[in-house]
Formats: sequence, structure tokens, C-alpha cells
Amino acid sequence: MGQFLSFLWISIFALLAFSSPALGADYHEQLNLRPLPQSALLASFNFRSNTTVSEFEKGNFRFFPRSLGQILQHAGTRELHLRFSLGRWDAESWGARPWNGAREGGTGVELWAWLEAHADDEADRKWLTLTNALSGLFCASLNFIDGTRTTRPFMSFQPEGDHSTLTNMHLLYGVLPHEVVCTENLTPFLKLLPCKGKAGIASLLDGHKLFDASWQTMAIDVRPICSPGQECVLQIEQTIDMVLDIDRSKRPRDNPIPRSPPADQLPCDTSKPYHSHDTCFPADHTANQDWSLSQIFGKPLKGTCPLTDPAVPPVCLQVPDSRSVFVSEGAFERKNPDQVSRCYEIPPSADFEMALPKPDSSADTTTTAVVAPETPLLYAERSFTGHGQERGGVQTILRNPSPDTDVEFVYMETLPWFMRIYLHTLQARVAGDARTPNSTTDDNKLVRQVYYRPAVDRARGTQLEVRMRVPPASTVFVTYDFEKSILRYTEYPPDANRGFDVAAAVITVINPHHGEGGGEGSGDDAGGKLGRVAAYTLRTTSLLCSLPTPDFSMPYNVIIFTSTAIALAFGGVFNILVRRFVAAHEGPEGGLGVVLGRVKGRLVGLVKKGVEG
Amino acid sequence: MARQNSRQPPPEKPSDRRRRSHIILSFWLIVLCLGLPIWWKTTTIYRANLPLQEMLDWSDGKACRPVFPLHISIQANALQEHEAQHLLRLTQHALDDLNDFSGHHLRLQLAPPSGTSHYDRDSVLTIRLAPGETSTANFEPHEPVLDITYPPNGIPSPTSSSSPLATYIASQLRSAFAEEQAAISSLLSASSIPSDHRPQGLSPDASDALSKRPARSLRYAPTYHLTFSLFTGGPLPSSWDIEGAIDEYMKPVLDILSPIHNFTIDTQVQLYAAPGVQNEVLNKEDLSSFINAAEWPLSPSIGGAPTINFIVFVGDQTIATPSQQSSSEGDDASAPASHSWLIPQWGTVYLLPLPHDTTHLAASALKQPFLTFTSHLLSLTGIPQSGSLPLRLSTLARIRSADLLLRASSTLGSLARLALALPSISIPRSVADGVAKTIRHLRLACETLGGPEGLAHARVAEAEAERAFFEKSMVGQLYFPDEHKVAVYLPLLGPVAVPLVMGLINELKAWLKRRRDTAEAGKGKKRE
Repeated sequence: MGQFLSFLWISIFALLAFSSPALGADYHEQLNLRPLPQSALLASFNFRSNTTVSEFEKGNFRFFPRSLGQILQHAGTRELHLRFSLGRWDAESWGARPWNGAREGGTGVELWAWLEAHADDEADRKWLTLTNALSGLFCASLNFIDGTRTTRPFMSFQPEGDHSTLTNMHLLYGVLPHEVVCTENLTPFLKLLPCKGKAGIASLLDGHKLFDASWQTMAIDVRPICSPGQECVLQIEQTIDMVLDIDRSKRPRDNPIPRSPPADQLPCDTSKPYHSHDTCFPADHTANQDWSLSQIFGKPLKGTCPLTDPAVPPVCLQVPDSRSVFVSEGAFERKNPDQVSRCYEIPPSADFEMALPKPDSSADTTTTAVVAPETPLLYAERSFTGHGQERGGVQTILRNPSPDTDVEFVYMETLPWFMRIYLHTLQARVAGDARTPNSTTDDNKLVRQVYYRPAVDRARGTQLEVRMRVPPASTVFVTYDFEKSILRYTEYPPDANRGFDVAAAVITVINPHHGEGGGEGSGDDAGGKLGRVAAYTLRTTSLLCSLPTPDFSMPYNVIIFTSTAIALAFGGVFNILVRRFVAAHEGPEGGLGVVLGRVKGRLVGLVKKGVEG
Repeated sequence: MARQNSRQPPPEKPSDRRRRSHIILSFWLIVLCLGLPIWWKTTTIYRANLPLQEMLDWSDGKACRPVFPLHISIQANALQEHEAQHLLRLTQHALDDLNDFSGHHLRLQLAPPSGTSHYDRDSVLTIRLAPGETSTANFEPHEPVLDITYPPNGIPSPTSSSSPLATYIASQLRSAFAEEQAAISSLLSASSIPSDHRPQGLSPDASDALSKRPARSLRYAPTYHLTFSLFTGGPLPSSWDIEGAIDEYMKPVLDILSPIHNFTIDTQVQLYAAPGVQNEVLNKEDLSSFINAAEWPLSPSIGGAPTINFIVFVGDQTIATPSQQSSSEGDDASAPASHSWLIPQWGTVYLLPLPHDTTHLAASALKQPFLTFTSHLLSLTGIPQSGSLPLRLSTLARIRSADLLLRASSTLGSLARLALALPSISIPRSVADGVAKTIRHLRLACETLGGPEGLAHARVAEAEAERAFFEKSMVGQLYFPDEHKVAVYLPLLGPVAVPLVMGLINELKAWLKRRRDTAEAGKGKKRE
């Protein structure tokens, strides 16, 4: 609960800066460090800059990056969300996701944007421009987001910004699960920041550490924010969240290969009765939560970015107040009233270093060392079922940990066209409940609404959005079957035997309080679109679907095989037509008999010679 | 020996023999008359007919001889009709004597005296003759008008064959158009068009500068995108009064250029930008690597318009030996101290030293950089350096149309040579259409060179030529290696061809043998 309070505190803080842009400066950045159980550390970098809409339209860029601004202007983009992600968030041990999942994407690259267009064709054209331009800017293969990977989500996404009208806005969503996010995507990301990676918290970012993380996601969000009585501003928010494995990050750079330590240095749990010189029970990971900034990021923090809002402390740390933290000289610690977080004011131009010593080895280390993670609203995992090359199934396990409240959410899948799903097999059942879902009454129905847009071969993918609910303290299985289609020879990628990535499912938990406040709000308007703010967003892992892969020398084999068959038939027919046939006794002696007779004669001659000799 | 031992089959019936010949013949007929054409038809690469010779003619300059007839009207309200005619004749003679470049004609004509205050819109320049104290010549600043005054005794008598006034007017005209003439003739000589005319009387320096000019100026585009960037090595200054500076120093020039080009503008501030060269004093070699292309976000605009970059770099760096610098770069003579340099076809960098604690750059501090930028903008768009502004603009239009004409012609030539050099390249119909359109517009442009339609036609021709040349589908099937063809054809054609060919050979052999036999039999009969 304390952890929740701290999150609340920070989000209120963020909300203040967020909702009143004219009060604060036009740029702000903050780093949030939160040690997680099992020797992990969540580092959330947040950069936010504003520009007034009039300055943006005139093309005067100060904090807002010009390269991105130009693209947005050219493609008529009103709101943009771009995600680069890697790894898997371990919800079981790390708890709820940072930012309630709003700043993360599925593995690979995800992009969704609201484009201003009068017709769908125009929106598609602008989308093509946008993806191609972003692809160049971020060195990512975003240009491969074509018609087959683009969908128009119906229920899952809602604009975050303030738009005067939504009539001419088209939401398009594209995802590239196969894209490998790497340093070449980080460099352009940092270039968009006003202070680059040279000063402020961005100086900690380094490709070696970022892409070594257990889980990381880079997000760019551009949205217009209007507050009453003030000019609208266009806000770009750049976020990097990463979960570092402290042990792995502390590994020295000159000796990066993990080696097992000598026996006497193994971290053993000495409290076990059987502990001896040759018996070791591994110590709990949380026991050695000691680290310093330069150890885990490879370098200290280089001052602050001079443009940043001085009211926002640049570094915050979420550990219980009982833990002692050492910081370098000149920094000033400010503990927040929630008892589990504190922030630091940093001298502008000196290096900043922070060190967390080992927690005091008091009785209960787990509660004092790290803030207990908050339980997420929903757990989800997705996997393939079935076997063989022809059919398969997908099973998603959704677990509601809350003992007393329902969770209502929209489950969205964007599947490639070569996975042809059978919608009639879509089933949702509560674990341990033998009844079929259709037999239950309307109130208890798990699936409330299904939006399905079937795939068209080679033209567009399947889009499946299911609004459903999970009863309290229960687990729901959502399953459906699909058929794997056979691709054309040239449609296989070079590494066809690796399998085809299937994008993560996006689960948007609907804010339960929104409907009550908004009257008819989320219930039934426009086909049941969800409320303005999603309470929580999570994404499953991406899947690897293996399709029947042909032998790629097949065309030549086919050519040779059919050619041989044709040649045999043709040769036979032709010979029969042009040869002259006579009875055996009529023709000259020939064939095998003649040859054999000659060989026989020779042999007989040789034998005779040998006998005579 | 063997024949004696073996039995011979009974002689074949002639009808059987004939039937076999027919079979073989019909197989071969099917292969040759049906198989081969089908194969040919289905595997040939489509090559549209291109007027190759005409295209090569254009690129060799045989199809069009760029001639710029410039009409200059003379208004002489104070002169009698016949006096004016005589003066005009004399001046024309003097001009023709001075002119050595046949492509660039100055044609004088007498304007009707009624239009007193207006200038003739059809002619390039209007000369207003008025009596005065001495011979003076003045350009009107905003109209293509040259005011010339002459002393009272300057009017040539009807009988005289030369006149100082005529010579004076001719020399004034010549100096006014000297730069344009030189520019066009250098354009023509740089292209493959044979020119019998060399710009004479030009110093090597001047001709060197002229040959640099097309290399420096950007390609013609109806719209240019201007990007003004403030780069600073540290955190300050982080804001500038760019809008004020643009309004005050840049807008007037952009307004003047607006009949020819549109401009879009954006600006940015970039902190912590390290230049590519860290030296305090920049040598000439350093200037080319000063722009840190890897880190500075100077990506060109995505709208298709070419981008011109103007960079103010806040820093203490200086440029070594300004005199050398300005002479080698050619155009910087106007800048008081060398703080700036021009990067051909790209933009300008201005080094602005500032106190370290400046947080905001006021518009007044940007005056010097922006004056430099405006002069460089003119040079980047290729406007001539001298003359009155309206005249310079019309000159720019003529130089541009000549440039576009030559460029389109040379693109056509390249396309023709490409089509000749690569017999396996496919030429889709769109390319042929593009070429036809280009040639049509080139012809129109050639006819109307010097006028505004000429520029429009040249623009269309250039765009069409480029589109035809860069047609994507042309390269699609270019690389289809021969091994693949062998791998596809051999397994089918090999086994089928062997019985066919063997059958034919056997049949021919049998036929020859029969002929020989009948001949021998005939001989034997004769002997008997």
C-alpha cells in the first residue's frame, strides 16, 4: 500500500506538471529509480517538452525536435505514440507495470497515431508517409508497416491529448514484432532531447546498459494539451523504462563474461542448518541490494540539464525511509511524506553519484530493503496450443488477483493474415468451471462484445477486439483455433525456419469509475468505446508461429522432375512413331546377343591359347 | 565383313518411308513454327520504341540551338522619329560589333512615344532617353528601366555613320548583360553543345568564378525550404528572437524572390552540439568537416523541396587567413570579417562569438549573420551579382531555363545511351511517354527561350526527363543471371531435343544413302 501511495504521489506530481504547462517550464525531466525484488532495479526516465501550437505551426522549434515536428506536420499527425520494446516484464515478482502500462509496447516496434484526414484513403496515404519518415528518423524498419500490419483499433485506444474534434481523425495502429530494438534506435531517440545525452539524466543512458536490461521500453508520445484560458501546447513525452539486473550490471566492463565465483565467495544462506563448507543454499537475491549509480549505469550523472524546470527534482528513489542512501556532495535529499520515496536536488554542473549500501541485516530484510510491489489489476499470459503444421490454437490465461472486484477490459489481437482464425472457436471460460460460456446468463457472460475484422490474404491482417470481464479472484481461459496457411515461395523471409512473430496482444483495462461519473459514458456510446482513461494497460509476450516451410530448392526440383517426365513421354512416343519395326528373324542380328557372342568367342580363344601355351 | 554375315531386313515400303519423313517434318514444323514463336513471345523483355536518334541529337545539341533574343525598347520622347530610328540603327550596329556570342542577341526596337511613364512589358529592358547635361546612365531600382541622358550635341546627324551616344548606349547595354552572357555561354560550353562562341574578354578569375556558380547554386525548384538553426556547444543561449530577425532581415529578400520561388521556413535551437572540428582556428580543410553530420539534426525537409540550411554557431572559433578564405570561396568579399562560409548547394555557417552567459539572442545580435545569410541565399539560388534587381531576376529566369533545357537534354541523352548499352533492360511504355513529352516540351522551350513560357516548358521537360530516367520498373529484371536460364531450360529442352535432332539426322542419313544407292543402281544399269 505504501508503494501505491508513493506511486500516487509521483503521479500527482507528474499530473501537476502535466496539466499546467504554462506554470512550469517548457521542459522537464525526471529519473525514477525503484529497486524491485530479486535483485532488479527499475529505472524510469521521463523527458517532457512543450511547444505552443502556434510556434509549432510556424515552424519555430526550440525544445520540440524539428526533425520529428516536420514529419508530424507533413503527415497531418495530431497525436503520435511510438514504442520500442525488448524483454518481458515479470509481473509475478515485479508487480504492476510503471506508468500503469501506458508507456510501453509489445516486443519490437509499435506505432499508433491519430491522423487528420477526410477519407480512409487519405489517412492511409498519410500513414504511409508517416511510417516511412519515422523509419528514416529512428533507423527502424517502420516502413515495413504496410497494409497487412496496419489495423484501425475500434475499442482499445483512446486519444490522450485534448482534441477539439474527433470527426476527421483516423486512428491507425501498426506493429512490427520481429524488429530487434538496439543502439541505433537509442541514438536518434537521444538526439530528440534538448540536452541530447550530454547533460542531465540522459547522460546515464548508454546502449550497452540499456539493451542489456531484462526489460526495456522506449516510448515517444506526442499529443496536444489544452488547458482552459491558455493556448494549446503540443507536448512530446519521451520515456525510457528499464529493469536492470543489478548483479549483471555491476559486472565490470573489462570482464563482461559471467564466471562462477570461487567456492568461498558464493552467496550462501548461512542460516540454513545444513550449511557447511561444501554445502551451500543460494542466498535470497534481495539480500545483496547494494549498488551505486556509476556501478549500474557505468558512469555518474553529469549535472542537470539547464533547461529543465527547477521545481522538478531530477532524481527520485523509491526505497523505504529506513534505508540509508549516500549521495555526492552538493545534492539535497527531500523525503516525500509517503515514507517510501525521496527525491534529490542536484548541483547543476557537478557529477552526481548515489550509493545504496546493503540494507541493515535486521530481522526481516525483504520488507525493509525494497518497497513491496503493487499488485497489478490483471495478469495475462498467452501461448500456442496444438501441434502440427496445419492447425493450431492460441490460449490466453487472464487472472484477476483482486478478491472482490471484477476487471473489465478490451483484449486486442492483431494477427498476420496467414493465421486464419476460426471465430466460432473463440471461447472464454473460468478455470474450474465446466459450464460452457454460452449457457450462463447475460450478467455473467464473460465476453461482452466482439469486434472482428477478418483477414484478407496478402492485404490485411486479422483484427480481433474482445471486450470481456474476469470475475474476482478467478482465472479465465480465452482460446481460439486457427489454421496456418501456406505462403508463396517468395513470401518467406530468409530465416523462415525460425518462425513468424505474432504481435503481442494488447489488454486495456477499462477504468471502472469512469462509467459512473460520465453517466451514459463508457457503457453503450458509439458501440461501447471505453472511457477516456484506461486504468491499466498490459501486453502479453509475442509469439513465434512456425508455418509449414518448403524446401527452398523446390522450384528447380519441380522443373527437373516435370522435364524428365515430359522428356520420357515425348521420347517414347517419338521413337515409336519414327522407328521401323521388323520381326527379330528378319533384321540383322544385334543387341545383347551379338555382343555376348563376341565376348564369348574372345574368351574361348584366350582359354585355348592358355591351354596350348 | 559384317554385312556379309548379317541378314538384311526386307526393303521398306515407300509409303512407310514417306510417312516417317512426314512425321519428322511435322514435328520440326511444330517446333519451329509454333514453339519458337511462343517461347520468343513469352520471354522477350518489353522494350518500347524510343526515338533514340532524336534523343541523342538533343543531348549533342543538334536539335536545338539555344538563342536568347532579348528585345530592348528605346523610348526617346524628345527625338524625332527619323532621328530615333537612325540612332537605333547605329546603336544596333555598335552592339553587333561588340557582340561575339551569337546565342545572345540584343535586339533594339523603338517604343511608341505615347507610353511615357510605363515601360514595355514585352521587352527585357526599356531605355529612356532624355536630354541632359552629360552622358549618364542610371537603372531604376524597381523597374527594368535604364535612364540615359545625353548632352545636347549627342544626337547623331542623319548622315553620320557613328555617334558617341550610340557607342555609349551600346557599351552600357553590354556591361549590363555581360554577366548573363558569360553565364549562359559558360553553361553551354560546360554542356556538350558545340559552341562556336567563347566568352572573350573575361579574365581567368572571372571565368573561374562563373564556372563555379552553377556548382554552387542549388538545382531549380519552385519551392525551397529554409532551415535556420542555432547551434551552441554548451547549454546557452537556449532561445533567440528568430521570428523578429527573419521578419526584419530575411523577409524583404524573400518577397523579392517570391515571383520565382516559394519559401517555407522552420527554425530550431540545438544545445550541446559539438562541431566536427574542435580547433580554435579553422583552416580551409576544416571548414568542410565542421558540420557534424552524424550528430546535428539537419535532416532535409520531407516535403520534396530542397532544403537550404543557415546555421548560426555560437562559439569562439575563427577562420584562418580571411583573405585567402574569401578569395578561394569567391563570394565572401562582402562579409566584413570572415565569420561565415558558404557550403555549395547546402547552405551557410556563421560563427557567432558571444559572452558565455548570454541566455537569449536578441534580433539585433542576429543582424550580421542574417545579412550574410541573405547575400548567400541570393548566391545559392543563382542570382547574378550585379545589375538592378528586376534585371537580375529576369536574368535568373533565363539562366535557369537554359540550365533546365540543357539538363533535360543531357538526361535524354543518358537514357538513350543506357537503352543502347543494355540490350536486356526493359523499357516500359511510361518511359516512352515520358520521353515523348520531354521532347515536345523541349521543343516548345527552345522556341520560347528567354520568355516566361520558356522557363515553364523547360521545367516540365526536366521533370519528365528525370521521371523517365528513374523509372523503377526498368531495373527490375535487369539482373537475371544466365545460369538461372540454363537451369530452367536445360532439363526440358535437352531430353526433348535429343530424339528430335537424332531423328532428323537419321532421316537425312537414310535419305542420302537412298540417293547414293539409286545413283549406284543407275550406274550399274548403265554399265550393263
